[in-house]
Order: sequence, then C-alpha cells, then structure tokens
Amino acid sequence: MTALDAATKTRADSRNADRLIVAVPSKGRLQENAFAFFARAGLELQQGRGARDYRGVIAGLDNVEAAFLSASEITGRLARGEVHFGVTGEDLVREEISDVRQRVELLAPLGFGSANVVVAVPQAWIDVRDMADLADVAGGFRARHGRGLRVATKYVNTTRRFFAAHAISDYRIVESSGATEGAPAAGSADLIVDITTTGATLSANALKILDDGVILRSQANLVASLAAPWGEQAREAARIILSRIAAEEEARTTRELRTRLGEVTDKLLRKAEAKFGATLRERNGNGSVTFAAPANKVASLADWLIAHGAQTVTSGKLDYVFRADNELWGRLAARLDGD
Amino acid sequence: MTLANYRPTDPTRIEATLRHFVAEGFTRCEPGLLQPAGVFLDRLGEDFRGRLYLTSDGGDGELCLRPEYTIPVCLNYLASPDAGQPAALAYGGAIFRAGEGETLQAGLESFGRDDREAADAEILGVALDAAKEAGAATLKLRLGDAGLVKTFLDRLDLPPAWRRRFEIGHARGESPSKALKPPQRKENGVGAGVLAALEKVDAAGAKKLIEDLLSIAGISTVGGRSSGEIAERFLEQASLEDGAGVSAEKRALLEAFFEIEGSPDSASAKLRRLADSARLDLGFALDSFDTRSSFIAARGLALDSMTFSASFARRLDYYSGFVFEAWAANRPDQAPAIAGGRYDRLLRTLGAKSDIPAVGAAIWVDRLSGDTV
Repeated sequence: MTALDAATKTRADSRNADRLIVAVPSKGRLQENAFAFFARAGLELQQGRGARDYRGVIAGLDNVEAAFLSASEITGRLARGEVHFGVTGEDLVREEISDVRQRVELLAPLGFGSANVVVAVPQAWIDVRDMADLADVAGGFRARHGRGLRVATKYVNTTRRFFAAHAISDYRIVESSGATEGAPAAGSADLIVDITTTGATLSANALKILDDGVILRSQANLVASLAAPWGEQAREAARIILSRIAAEEEARTTRELRTRLGEVTDKLLRKAEAKFGATLRERNGNGSVTFAAPANKVASLADWLIAHGAQTVTSGKLDYVFRADNELWGRLAARLDGD
Repeated sequence: MTLANYRPTDPTRIEATLRHFVAEGFTRCEPGLLQPAGVFLDRLGEDFRGRLYLTSDGGDGELCLRPEYTIPVCLNYLASPDAGQPAALAYGGAIFRAGEGETLQAGLESFGRDDREAADAEILGVALDAAKEAGAATLKLRLGDAGLVKTFLDRLDLPPAWRRRFEIGHARGESPSKALKPPQRKENGVGAGVLAALEKVDAAGAKKLIEDLLSIAGISTVGGRSSGEIAERFLEQASLEDGAGVSAEKRALLEAFFEIEGSPDSASAKLRRLADSARLDLGFALDSFDTRSSFIAARGLALDSMTFSASFARRLDYYSGFVFEAWAANRPDQAPAIAGGRYDRLLRTLGAKSDIPAVGAAIWVDRLSGDTV
C-alpha cells in the first residue's frame, strides 16, 4: 500500500467508516468502459481534481466513494474487504482469490474486457489436440527429457487447478508476467497458459489453443466484497447503485413488444413465455398486449405473433426497468446476511 | 484456524522417537528450515505448490519453509563426503504445509545399501518400534511393491503408449479397464489423411514425412519436443485409436493382478499362481518379495497382521520398490501416521551420478495416538 493509499484509507476510516467504496480501474480502455457502464446506469463517476487523483465520488449519491486503482489491485482489495464494490476481470478474481465463494460475489458480467484464459501449445505438436493428449505427453516427458514439462504463465493458481482437474501433475510453472506467448519460441517453456482475445498473438507465435483448453471465458465483472464492513449506509448505497444497474441492464437486454391480437388466451401467453421468454406487461380489453422479451428473441417472437393473427408488431427500447424487487441486491443481501 | 493450531504442542513423542532412532544406529541429519522451493515442485509436482509456505529473499528463485524431510536429507547426503556410501540417517522436527500449519515429523532414510530386502525390513521395523516407544496406539499396516508392479508390467509387454496410459490411470486410482479404454477417435481433420499416408511407410519414413509436413506448413518446432518425438507419438496415438487395444487376456491379467490382496505370504502365493498360469516370469521380483517378508518376520513383526495389496503402490514414478503405510487402528479415517518406501531413482534426479539404493519412512508423531486431529 502506498503512502497516499494509506492516507486515503485512514482519512476515509476516520471521517466516515460507514460509506460504500467502489473501486474502478484507473486507466486505459478498462477505465473508459467502466465509466461508460456506470454512466449508462445513470451513475456518473467523478474523479477528483485531476487525472492523478485516485479518489472520486458518484454524482448525487451520498456515502459513496470511488477509488481508482489498477485491476489487480482491485481484486486484492475486494478479497481483503478494503473496498465494497469493484470492477475487475473474472480471470484475476479466479487467479488471485483462493476462496472466491467465501470472499466475494460476482454480481454481474459487464460485457467488456472479454478474453479467454487458454492452454496453448506449439502448433508443431500435431499429436496434441486436447488436454488428455497433454496429460499423456506430460506423463512421458520426464523419462525422455529428464525434466517435467514447463508451462509459462502468470495464472499460476488457475493453471494448477485446471491441470489438476485433468490429472496432469508432472510439470513446472515458469512464472511470466509479460510476453508469455514468446516463451516457447525463446526456449524458456514448452507451452503456455495465457489470456487471449482473438488468438492472433498466439498464432503469430506458432501456438494453438487445445480443443478443450479454454480454462475460463473471462470478462470484466462487477464484484462485491463479502469481507468489507457493510454498515447500514453502505448497504443502502449499494442497494441504490444495484437497482440502477439492474434497471439499465434489464432495459438493455429486453425489448417491449406491442401488438393487437384477436384473442389473448392463457395458453397463448404460456407458449410465448415457454418459447421466447416473453412475459406479459400489459393487456387491454380490446386485444392489445405488451410483452417484455429478450432482445435477441424479438424477431422470432414477432413472426410468431403475426402467425397468430397480429397485423403489426412494434418493438421498442427502454431506458430503465426499475423493479421493487431487485435481483442483484437481493442476491448480495442474501450473501451478506449469511445466505 | 486460530494461530494456536499452527503449532504442535507436545515435544515428548518426537524426542522418544529420535532417541530410538539414534539407539538403532541412525545419525541425526537436520537440514535447514528454509529450502529452495523448486526442488520440491520438480519432484512432487507443481500441484504441491499449494501446500508450500513460499517466500523469497529477493535473489533468484523461490524459497519455502521445509515441507518435508526426504528431499533435503537426500541433498545433504549427496553434498557430504559419504555420498554414494551406505548411510543411515534420522531426522526430526517441524515441517510446514499450508492447511496443516506446523506439524512434527520424524523419520529415517537409509542410503547406499545393496541388501535391499534387509534394509526395507529394517526401516519398517525401526519406524514401528520408535512409534511404539513414542506411545503409539495399535497400528494397522498396509504394504505394496512398486518394483513388483513394474516387473509385472514389463513382463506383460504392453505397447509403450498403453503402458504409459495405464501408469497414468493407475496413479490416479483408476481401474485397469478404465485406464485401458481406447481413446475416442478425434474428428479433427489432421488425423485421418496424414494417417493414411503414414501407414504406407516405416517408422523412419514416417518421421521424415512428419518433419517435411511441418516444414511445408511453415511450422517451426518450438517448445522442447523434437519433430521425431512428435511423429512417434502421433503414430502411436493413431494406432491406439485404430487398433484393437490391449488384448482381453492381458486386460484380465491386469485386473486379476491388481485385485490381489492379503497377508504378505498368502499374497505371494497368489502372485506366483497368477504368474505361473500366465507364464510370466516374476520369479526374481517374488523371491525378493519373500526374502523381505522373512526379514520383516525375523524382526519379530507379525507378518500375518499386515495387508499386502498389489494396487497400493500407485506412485510408480517416485517409488521403486517396497511401500508401506501405517495408521492408528482406531482411526481408519485418518491420514497415515507412518508412510515410507523405497525410492532408488530419486537420488540420481537430485544430482547423483548413478542410482543409489534408498529407502525411508516418515512418522507424523501427532497422528500416532489416533486421538488427534
């Protein structure tokens, strides 16, 4: 912890222990995306005096402090309970927190920062297509080479768990914090476990991903710390933030469909729900109905409605869908109250 | 876990154990608490990392708190003027493993003795006697023999690929039939066409073909495996997917062999019958087995109360012969209080110029009474 961080923490502790601290990535695309994510939910992050200030607020919300930190720092602080909410990659959460379920709750994937943590071997290994092949090669490697396979990675724990699950034990991890994909060509490792978005860098380094070698499909997540001090005010601030996020998310992922049908039977409604996940929002005596449906089912639902006698079906985007019962907060509150 | 649980409480048991070791002619050898982590990860597998208390002093490589004694004692022995000579060493003190904290362990290592059967029996006998001195409850014993398993597999003459698959499965605790199930043919392009071409040429030709294939595709060979090695395994796998696999007769023999269990003498008789009926030459390995049993009995140990199990020796990469475990009879659920075995190949991998006979045992003194955690 730097002196500045320490000072920040002490000040925060002494001034107001019961406030919600939201940790947000401090630079790059991750920060832009995180700002955009909160902004969509109507939560405007305001950084202090300059870009170098590591603290901020959320406009219009009392008892909330924003802390701008690196993504891996955010993960550690969530685990230690030094911040309540954080935006960080699931890859880092799974790698750096040993008992994920006890310490944090992954509240929602945020749709950005997508990347896969994968096992990649040299393309020349045409005999190795999946983890079972790799296990077989690992099993015979020491007898042939006098050493175990070497795996370059910064995902030490993730690799260990995944390899153990595939019963691979005779290998060594070569820790690598940068340019991991170059390790096999450089001769410092035989294969790698690394994060990749398109796989292009792997191909450029003559590596291929094993068929079942995707360890984790990661993306940025909104993560809550279960170890943080959850006072009354922090909980209330969390509830407000999550209800706005949930309202935006539901609006973004659903569409409202309006149409008029000759006859609206219960059977038809049940079918709409079963086939398309569509729920009835409103229905009038004159046969006009409003459905809420997943955005990706709109076209097929519209076709189906037309087949059932609708003349026109209109679909609209919504800004927010606020609900009295908020799934995100409900889940977190349950965890905080001991499940 | 509260901090108090990290520390062992009662030193009397370990002191009694060590007194007995020294009285039996073993010399104390106490390696340092701080050890280079790499050597443990190399020999015990990367998975062991999760059990280590890791640290670093800013120099090269990671350090850890001593997680076990055998490897450090081996390294001390190899660095000593006695390296390669017979040596009988004893140790006792704290070991550190994540999840268990600090626990006390005492043990023995015997190096360089060519009379392996006698050395095996001595280690077992001295360890059991020391445990008794330290107030152990009644202990139950299970024996195995990694050397016998290896000889059996050698005589069975499985194709190398099947042998490897079997050993991997066996280490995982899979039954022979599961370990020997042919892999599913993978529908993945590269296989079939290449295989058809390869079937027409001999091994050397196949290797050349694969090398050509890789160079035409512009794939450079990286990552520590030669194209010859890749070609060899590629062919091998293709034959696994294609072939009839291991014959029903050999599979039945494997099943029968690993089901053998009983007192050492009755197990030996069963093993001889199996070997005879299958015409497998296990004579040397079984003679050694019986010689060891005689030495164990000669120490006054009740051979008939021990259980030999052919499937007990699982870690064929580490152990090379006799293996055993003992645990408090009233706590069959507990981890073993004593574990040991012969590991003739380890010292070479730690820097010895050739294999040096080695057998040892470790005692978790806190588990002896059967009333601890």
